[in-house]
Amino acid sequence: MNALNRSLLAGVALAFSAGTSLAQTTVKWLHLEVNPAQIKIWEEVAREFEAKNPGTKVEMQFLENESYKAKLPTLLQSNDRPHIIYSWAGGVLKAQVEAGVLQDISSQIGDVRDTISPAALAAFTVNGKTYGLPHAQSQTGFLYNKELMAKGSVDGSTIKTWEDLLGAVRKLKAAGVTPITVGGGDKWPLHFYWTNLAVRIGGKAAFEAALQGKDGGFEGETFQKAGEYMKQLVDLQPFQNGFLGFKNPQSTGFFGDGKAAMSLVISTVYHQQKALAADKVGITDDKLGWFDFPTVPGGKGAASDTLGGINGWLLTRGAPKTALDFVKHFVSKDVQMRLAGANFLIPVVKGADAGINNAFMRNIAQNLARSGYHQNFYDQDLGPSVGRVVNDATAELAGGSMTPRQVAKAVQDAWKQGN
Amino acid sequence: MNEPVRIGRRPPELATLYRVLFLTVVAAFVAVPLLATVLGGFKSLGELRTNPFGLPSEWEWENYADILTSRRYWRMLGNSFAISTMTSALALVVASMAAFVFAHLRFFGSRMLLNYFTMGLLFPAATAILPLFIKVRDLGLLDTYFGVVLPQVAFALAMSILLFRRFFKDLPTELLEAALVDGCTYPKFFRFVTLPLSRPILATVGTITFVHSWNAYLVPLVMLNSDSMYPWPLGIMVYQGEYTSDWHLILAFITLTILPTFLLFVFAQKHIVAGLTAGAVKG
Amino acid sequence: MIASSARRQTGAGQMTAVVLFLPPAILLFTLFVVLPIVEAAWYGNYSWNGFGTPTNWVGFDNYRYVFEARAFGLALRNNVLIIVVSLLIQLPLALTLALMLAEKFRGAVALRMLFFLPYVLAEVATGLIFSFVYDGDYGLLASIYRVFGAEAPHLLASTQTSMLAILIVVVWKYFGFHMMLFIAALQGQDRNLIEAARIDGASRWQALRYVSIPLLYPTIRLSIFFAVVGSLQLFDLVMPLTRGGPADSSQTMVSFLYSHGVTRMRIGYGSAIGVILFVICATFAITYKRWFMRDE
Repeated sequence: MNALNRSLLAGVALAFSAGTSLAQTTVKWLHLEVNPAQIKIWEEVAREFEAKNPGTKVEMQFLENESYKAKLPTLLQSNDRPHIIYSWAGGVLKAQVEAGVLQDISSQIGDVRDTISPAALAAFTVNGKTYGLPHAQSQTGFLYNKELMAKGSVDGSTIKTWEDLLGAVRKLKAAGVTPITVGGGDKWPLHFYWTNLAVRIGGKAAFEAALQGKDGGFEGETFQKAGEYMKQLVDLQPFQNGFLGFKNPQSTGFFGDGKAAMSLVISTVYHQQKALAADKVGITDDKLGWFDFPTVPGGKGAASDTLGGINGWLLTRGAPKTALDFVKHFVSKDVQMRLAGANFLIPVVKGADAGINNAFMRNIAQNLARSGYHQNFYDQDLGPSVGRVVNDATAELAGGSMTPRQVAKAVQDAWKQGN
Repeated sequence: MNEPVRIGRRPPELATLYRVLFLTVVAAFVAVPLLATVLGGFKSLGELRTNPFGLPSEWEWENYADILTSRRYWRMLGNSFAISTMTSALALVVASMAAFVFAHLRFFGSRMLLNYFTMGLLFPAATAILPLFIKVRDLGLLDTYFGVVLPQVAFALAMSILLFRRFFKDLPTELLEAALVDGCTYPKFFRFVTLPLSRPILATVGTITFVHSWNAYLVPLVMLNSDSMYPWPLGIMVYQGEYTSDWHLILAFITLTILPTFLLFVFAQKHIVAGLTAGAVKG
Repeated sequence: MIASSARRQTGAGQMTAVVLFLPPAILLFTLFVVLPIVEAAWYGNYSWNGFGTPTNWVGFDNYRYVFEARAFGLALRNNVLIIVVSLLIQLPLALTLALMLAEKFRGAVALRMLFFLPYVLAEVATGLIFSFVYDGDYGLLASIYRVFGAEAPHLLASTQTSMLAILIVVVWKYFGFHMMLFIAALQGQDRNLIEAARIDGASRWQALRYVSIPLLYPTIRLSIFFAVVGSLQLFDLVMPLTRGGPADSSQTMVSFLYSHGVTRMRIGYGSAIGVILFVICATFAITYKRWFMRDE
């Protein structure tokens, strides 16, 4: 009994000592970045901030993208939640605001408000109140490996229409090249196809109509057609073997290893594929190409419309003021220039895009600047619960267990059920 | 020599041969994934692909060394150890006290109360994980050891109480009678007679709760948020998320995280086998 | 049994012990086991994201959504599959091995321990080990295929094979436990009975078939009980392997509850799944005990 008592007490003591920190402010910052080269800069930024603000400690925590999304709902309910969390804005952000777990920072960002692109800042503003600061934007499109494309005698720069894409896939398959790699296990990379198609088919008008339940909502013609086009592609079996089991980082590494010709990705995969390749070199710039998502015949969306993200950092309720200071520092022009200079992101701070120093990222930046309709990722924009259903359903379409009509119906049903 | 072979009875050598063959196949089925994991941790990623089964051509000690010198590995094990120790200690104390009452005392409703606890055998913690989460949140215990420990103890109670109770009932009753006549109180008897005599069952119940807690995934996954609190099953999943396809590192990490279990198993075989199958003897 | 004289003397002492010893257990058990399941029945009628108090009463809608969900049907099917495989493959395997290893020969104890080892390992670690084994690129299976010049199947990535892959791991992990149960029971058997049967002219097989195995029936019933209960709570193993995918093809009841309830913070929906699972578990446990384990 004595031994038991002692070990119990020891355990209790341990529990308390592990939970408390020193008498300084610790900023807990949760991120999803997998590229060590980028994290290195982030760490430098954090250390600089600590040096400038004595008594402050910035603690970085990492969760892999998909684990983060799974963990977030429970994470936010804790009083010990991280102070700074990653966000894709959209409906998920709205749900978090409604849940009251975020901090309204509207009155404290006067000094940085004008430095940031208004559209990006608007993404983090709900009902006139701002809850976080954006730090990057991105576009989805096809990254391709020029060498592999050449094996199938395909020129990536000429792929403009959906039919071009299907033709390229056929040629690549005939040449024995895996046309496309996708992280189907995480599901969301597959939803890029469905949503990009919807953007091309229906444009902004169709999406807004669906939100209001008009034209059949997400069960309407635009979304059924998106599924049908996607099915045309799926029927060609364009993806790597076992694509439904690949997590996104695996797929990214697969591309980086030069095992597939194309991948429909977020523009940041440009650098991630290097970090996740087995040789840590990946596909070098001279062999790497990019084309925007192809258009469909009769599509109402403009070819310049984009699907992508506006990413930023949210402040959770109860976060110390230092946490906001750190985020402000993180989105300062100096830091944004450095990250843009290393080609890790398309900055949202005015003027920082001057820092971008390669053609690839400059092209993305131009696309985003030209875009008349930048659609956020559906799985974020439609809120946590509906977004998951979009991912589930499009993954099932890719796996052949749902028809285009069923996908559209599943999304609409979820939309009606609400989050 | 010319004796006809009787049908249905093979020569013994053949039967033995079959048996050896069968056991070898099963042993390989069990052992090969484990051995490949341990050895894989010594290989480079390239070699893993070309030579997944054999001994490494070059032993990459740094895969293991890097993990062993990293803070995260020790922190994970420390968390697991703290959580499991607290869980089993608390379960032992609480369950043995309750079982003592059920074994030796009759009072109004005691039978009903015992049945109440038996309900805990009917369903796993997962069924009520969401309300459990809300409860732990409302108690302010999210992201603390106790947020994991208390539910684990509660779900271990049913089985532990039954095991203790049966053991206590089997202790000679003359002891208790004599002690009571001599004016010894129940709590004193429990403390100074029952517990010292109950080493085997304490070891058994302690082992069950410790191993279950050590391996537990769902409850910590839902209750804990910061990686500084993660026990190893959560930590290893984060590690895998971080290193995705660097299988040589992941395998080394798996090896090192199951090493404590393996050592415990080798050194405390008897208790573990007894403990983990004990629940079975009385369902 | 306490002598009545002693009991009279210590009536007050009894109460002290009850009041001192029982409350911690009752408190913990009520708070963390009983209340949550009762609350699940309550929350199950609401659409609620966990913040504030549940106000949006939806009645039985959550249950309807659960029963309509394709994933739920698959989870149920998979749980049944696990039980079937446990009965048809794992149990005979465990019994055969137990009969072989209950005898004393060199290496028997070592083999027993080897076979029991997977049971001691954490499910998460086991799942990760096998996600390596099955990995289409670096995995053990892939390299075997490559030896024969064939392209490796991605077992975990196909809706057709993901569950098969998990079932193999389930057998790998749990047969040793059932084997140990049988060995313990066999060693408890009265050798004289078997000796007597042999002397009466029974062959080895007959002695086994008509004496040893019937004596094992209670253990077999117990082993079935554990297989079913284990199947109903299978989760940790599924997460590192497939997370229930692809397309929910390897979902189990608990992984379905986790991926569709917990990670989406749909407390009501998740609670409804929990209640259904509870009803299945409780009904099974109670009927099984009543029908098959009466005497034990």
